[in-house]
Amino acid sequence: MDLVIALTINGLVWGLIVALIALGLSIIFGLLDIINVAHGDFFMVGTVLALVIAGTTGFWIALVLVPLLGLALGLVIERLVIRPTITAASLTIVTTFGLSMILQETVRATFGAQPQRMPAPIPGTVPLFGLEYDIYRLFAAFFAMLCIAAFFLFLSRTTLGTWIRAVRHDRETATALGIPVTRVCAFTFGLGTAMALLGGAIAAPITTVEFRTGIDILPVSFMAVVIGGLGNLKGTVAAAILLAVLEGLVSSFADPTLARITSLAVMSGVLFAKPNGLFAGATR
Amino acid sequence: MASRIKWAGIAAVAIALAFVPLLLQQLGGLFWINVIAEIMIWSLLAASVNLLLGYVGLLSFGQALYFGFGMYGVAIGVSHFGLGLWPAFFLGVFAASAMAAIAGVIAVRLTWHYFAIITVVFSLIFYFVAMSAKSITGGDDGLSFSTPVLWEAAGLSLTDRVTQFYFIYLICVACFAGFALLVASPLGMRFAAVRDNEKRASLIGINVYLTRWIAFVIAGFLAGVGGALFALFGRYASASYMFYHVSGEAVVWSIVGGAGTLLGPLIGTALLILFREVVSGVWENYLIAVGALVILVVMFAPRGVVGIFNDLIERRESQDDRAAADIKSLAEMD
Repeated sequence: MDLVIALTINGLVWGLIVALIALGLSIIFGLLDIINVAHGDFFMVGTVLALVIAGTTGFWIALVLVPLLGLALGLVIERLVIRPTITAASLTIVTTFGLSMILQETVRATFGAQPQRMPAPIPGTVPLFGLEYDIYRLFAAFFAMLCIAAFFLFLSRTTLGTWIRAVRHDRETATALGIPVTRVCAFTFGLGTAMALLGGAIAAPITTVEFRTGIDILPVSFMAVVIGGLGNLKGTVAAAILLAVLEGLVSSFADPTLARITSLAVMSGVLFAKPNGLFAGATR
Repeated sequence: MASRIKWAGIAAVAIALAFVPLLLQQLGGLFWINVIAEIMIWSLLAASVNLLLGYVGLLSFGQALYFGFGMYGVAIGVSHFGLGLWPAFFLGVFAASAMAAIAGVIAVRLTWHYFAIITVVFSLIFYFVAMSAKSITGGDDGLSFSTPVLWEAAGLSLTDRVTQFYFIYLICVACFAGFALLVASPLGMRFAAVRDNEKRASLIGINVYLTRWIAFVIAGFLAGVGGALFALFGRYASASYMFYHVSGEAVVWSIVGGAGTLLGPLIGTALLILFREVVSGVWENYLIAVGALVILVVMFAPRGVVGIFNDLIERRESQDDRAAADIKSLAEMD
């Protein structure tokens, strides 16, 4: 029973982090119609940067610095690589695939190929439902939740957020109303990248840090986006948490591979039965 | 005119490839024989992506699954059932096509992003299955076997590099010739109709799902042939070749070469594998260069390498037409 609870909470923690990353993928996808294959590698770069920066200045500074670096990285990549190839979605798959190769190999060349682990910034455990649970994991879940809430507030309460929603809703009308559409798109890509890197920084102490971690996180985030319904941001969050908790639950009585297979099978069932996502018809 | 140039180009590529072993023997670079054989094998996987993306308008991110079935069909056929070369080969190709026929029933009901995702999901499921079923598949370590003889009476064996090259060459030529006939056939026209306008296609009586399903099965067959050849070529099968990254690479090869063209996948695969072979010899982190090359190609040639070539032919032709029209109008003035 302890194991079931522990793995379910682990799933919940992980699901919240994945939700943050998948939200980044979802806004890029919804606004620019880009299938961003490099998104998992943005997460990976976040974990690596967090480890490196935390090693010199401490984890808390890294937690602030990494998303800012992510925003800068996203803006540069958007200008250099995405904007010239945005004419067709199939082209952006190729460019982001190339980008993914470059990011992975650059990290391997500079950071090394050896997987590393990062010590928990908040050591110790607390009693939770009759078991001792890592404090940092709880903090990570709480912090990810905070970031997700901040993101939704940003979208609904700020001018820039309103612009993003306007461009997404109707690009031509937004242009006619004087919204700088090109710049809004650039910023959105930067924001999405920053969210992936932030997710990486939060996850760095509870996962292995190496140049390949992005490969595993990418399909999971895509599944959250699709199961939640394309363009449905709240659906994305719900789907990310659901998938991770389901996987945690199943892995408490079967091996992790079987858990992965189960969640994938559930996913194909959902796609088949409700191709517009589990939460189709819910408010955007 | 344009189609004649195209056919001439295709024939030229096929004939040039046939002379590769002779040329390399003269130059003493037999290492490259295997590189080119490998390019031909992978080009079948790229062609499989291309059939769906370029001719039916479906982006599959999971073709490595059928490549993997072809690969494991051969490896398991030889090492577990003790089959000969051809029975094992057909087992692999059959397994891949059958898997595509089953997965296709679900997959082709979806399109575009959803189709891309469901194909990834299927390939991931079987990737994890292959990883965990170590006793059958060897998991991550893979399954090694010794190649059965090709033709005992004639003393032909795949251990001879040149024989192996021609074995792969002939099968690839057959596949690409079949591909060319297919896209020119009435079925190929149906593919194009479904790609260009699904609604209109169904209104003129085309069964859209069935057409997509047929394309999906043929694509699975092509990938399966590639996988079966790869297993015989490497005497090895491994679950890692079923991962979605391999599928992604095939998508890149196909688009870089030119999706929707017959030879695009072959050219794209050749370009990127040769580039990798050359650069990896001089720079350890060659993947950075490969990534940059991929980005630059689609930036400057959005329709792929073969797309540029086709544009050139068409432009020259329209120039010829214009010149002819000018001459005609001059003649009329006189």
